Amino acid sequence: MTPPRTADQELPPGLSPDDLILAPASSANPPPARDEHVHEAIRAHELQEQAGPSWADFAQGWDRGIYRDPVVCGGLAGLVLGLLGVFIVLRRAVFVTAAVSQAAGLGVALAFYLAIHHALDVPPVLAALVLGVTATVSLALPVHKLRLPRESALGLCFIAASALAVLVGDRISQEAHDVAGILFGTAVLVRRTDLWAVGIVGGVTTLVVAVFYRGLVFAGFDPEGAKVQKLPVRGLNLLFWALVAIEVSVATRALGALPVFAFAVIPAMAALPLVRRLPYALVGAALIGGLSGALGYLFAFFFQFPVGASQAAVAVAIWLVTLPFGALGRSR
Amino acid sequence: MTEVGLELLVCRDLRIGRGGEALLPPFDLTVRAGELWAVIGRNGSGKTTLLRTLLGLLPPVSGSVTLGRPNLKFAYLSQRAGLDEFYPLLGEDVVAMGCERGWSFARPRGKDLRQRVERALSEMGTQQFGLEPYGSLSDGQKQRVMFTRLAVSDAELLLADEPTSAMDMVAEREAFRLLDRIRHERGLGIVIASHFLGLAQRLADRVVLLDRDAPAVVIGTPGEVFAHAGFRDNYGAVDDAPAHG
Repeated sequence: MTPPRTADQELPPGLSPDDLILAPASSANPPPARDEHVHEAIRAHELQEQAGPSWADFAQGWDRGIYRDPVVCGGLAGLVLGLLGVFIVLRRAVFVTAAVSQAAGLGVALAFYLAIHHALDVPPVLAALVLGVTATVSLALPVHKLRLPRESALGLCFIAASALAVLVGDRISQEAHDVAGILFGTAVLVRRTDLWAVGIVGGVTTLVVAVFYRGLVFAGFDPEGAKVQKLPVRGLNLLFWALVAIEVSVATRALGALPVFAFAVIPAMAALPLVRRLPYALVGAALIGGLSGALGYLFAFFFQFPVGASQAAVAVAIWLVTLPFGALGRSR
Repeated sequence: MTEVGLELLVCRDLRIGRGGEALLPPFDLTVRAGELWAVIGRNGSGKTTLLRTLLGLLPPVSGSVTLGRPNLKFAYLSQRAGLDEFYPLLGEDVVAMGCERGWSFARPRGKDLRQRVERALSEMGTQQFGLEPYGSLSDGQKQRVMFTRLAVSDAELLLADEPTSAMDMVAEREAFRLLDRIRHERGLGIVIASHFLGLAQRLADRVVLLDRDAPAVVIGTPGEVFAHAGFRDNYGAVDDAPAHG
């Protein structure tokens, strides 16, 4: 990835496109001194390109909102997915997130397909939501009646969604870059509407988790005991997976499937071994997720890597840093 | 306190089993407030299936299980000593779950609840486990925490599935002493599945013997059940029967 640029950023400061229309140089017609200045500026710009983007470049893009929105969006999504991820990891349902995020990616690809080939204007975030929720519901189907473990349904959902997304992507070549962005998180820019969606859904999700915290913990830790004490265990599970499906769908539309999966798993893995109490794990995972989202974008910007993979890599790096502390805590 | 003698649970022509297949012949039983029922039988005889059917976690193959009154408050001590050790919860967090009922989790937790938890931990002598991560406790210690969770609850009927299987003999005796006290203080009805015949002999008002070999369900006072041929076939004469295990 190269940092996103607007048209007037393509040239060194102080130059306009007219400056690049140079008169042909010859011994009879030596280049004017002004052209010498232009060549020097271009050479300087090329050297700067080789050195990579600078903080000044980032600050300039931040002020314009070009980089601010994706950093904030990555941070917010990481925060909320980190929080949900603690419950996901504890419920041993890590790959549910992978399957749901792939299904949401398929939804976005389908929205592009419908718009291009059938002139149907389906908002991609809505398509992501519908497919994400459908995948979540289908995972709750009683596959054990087919004498198959639940993991097999997860695998089927993941494979089907991934394959279909690639197939659909193949038929919308002009949007292929967007589809790749959705599936692997290579999207550099974030639309303002997606940022708002991530923010609002994240806020509601956090509020619901806070209000139903004790119920969610009891239903996950001791489902039979909770049922016997008349807690609405099925309703709580349904609510939790609905929150996961919606948050994952919205975040996948904005960031791509890979970082979403990473945020839902790795921050929780980093935080859980560090703490003795669940609320601290939730706060820790949320912070690590938020940090991974924001720092991952900076890492991608300065080292010119794909954003989604950078965010996932930063999350893994943070997990590696916390690993000895977690091991130390367990041995005490 | 529940009025002693009040009907809590009534089973009529109840057949228990899984997948529509009955394990045992039909039987009737009525659990009243303040009574302690011991469910005995060899491994695989259907003790857990019976408890789960009474709790409504499994449907009866046929017959009925009727609550003495709507909204009867149950508590359940499951066979598993360890629930999920990956949850970073302290012993006191697990005990506090005993206070939840219905939608209570959506209301803020008051100071009185914290005091109830502390009092129960103190009464049960489990304060030291209250501040330890639940996952780091031994199986016996976990069971003691679960007994404390029961003590803090406002249950009217307790069903427990081999709740002392991982405890040492002293802790087991203490646990049963606590149950006996609570049932008298609160009029708690108790149904315990256990291999501990001493419990049936000393504390139980009624005993249910599940015998899949016959197959038969024998219900009566401890004396009646211990004198039954089905009991003697499985355990020998009561004096020869192992008091523990």
